[in-house]
Amino acid sequence: MDITLRHTRRADGVTDAVRDLAPVVLGLAPFAMLIGVTAVRSGLGAGTGVLSSALLYGGSGQLTAITLMGSGAGAGAVLAAVTLVNARFLLYAAALEPHFRDQPRWFRWAAAHFVVDPTYAMVTRRTDLEDPTRFRRYWLTAGGVLAVAWVALTAVGGLLAPVLPASSALDVAAPAMFLAMLVPQLRARPAVVGAGAAAVTAALASPLPSGLGLMCGIAAGVVAASVTPTPTRTTAPSESPS
Amino acid sequence: MTLLVSAAATYGLRVVLIALVPAHRLPAVLRRGLAHLAPAALAALVVTALVGHRGATALVVPGPMHLALGVAAVVAWRFRNPALPVLAAVAVMIVVEVLS
Repeated sequence: MDITLRHTRRADGVTDAVRDLAPVVLGLAPFAMLIGVTAVRSGLGAGTGVLSSALLYGGSGQLTAITLMGSGAGAGAVLAAVTLVNARFLLYAAALEPHFRDQPRWFRWAAAHFVVDPTYAMVTRRTDLEDPTRFRRYWLTAGGVLAVAWVALTAVGGLLAPVLPASSALDVAAPAMFLAMLVPQLRARPAVVGAGAAAVTAALASPLPSGLGLMCGIAAGVVAASVTPTPTRTTAPSESPS
Repeated sequence: MTLLVSAAATYGLRVVLIALVPAHRLPAVLRRGLAHLAPAALAALVVTALVGHRGATALVVPGPMHLALGVAAVVAWRFRNPALPVLAAVAVMIVVEVLS
């Protein structure tokens, strides 16, 4: 193979990002539309929904913020709940940090905004992003295109809200997407124990104020997983999709 | 304004371990804990969406969303395409609503 062609293929993360992103956008479409619909029906308006998609760029945090703001909650309560709901981004950032280590400063500060469940899952599915330039192109394409699609689909949801029938069908989109990202991770025993403990604790603590039950579940899951012995057999990176 | 402050806090969560305190400098015990956060967070998110504020009994009282997420879990286990579980779950919810 021509050396120039080989170099081009190694450096070009754009095509791979677009290819990986297509099914993700399809799966996220109902979730993004739900945010637009919820913003309109909670009385905040489509503009707030679209703004939340651009600024927060994280569906569960957006839904939390919109729901609380729509019910008249104070700024402190919204901030605390959104921070708790989005605390998992710390993990994603920690896991992705090796890819950001040798990048330009502007990229580390600006592209961190694209750390979100789908982009994290997409990157961990690939084993060919060691080259900093290739990762940068992949990440900017995946994060940028997803952000544009996310904002656009939120706007579509906001526009369609008045004509959409009252249905809870879209409500299932978010937990189904989280489930789609969780299930492939349940291969090692600590992950299974942690997920189980988190699920039970989150259910038990669900009557607590918004965000606290979720945080209790996450904390219990992390502790349970941490004290669970790790099997000696290691999982190949390509088998850990998220 | 509330949205802006929440967005700033969320950005802080994203950037702190990338640009301010790179994750490889954290104590080992914290890094080990962070490594287990993803499945715990995702499971807690699923259950929180499923039960709302109704407590643990809502986990065992079956409803349309239980069925939809059950189907989604099977689809997620069988296929690696992340869109399919979402589409399957939404389809189940629509079918249940039409039939009821």
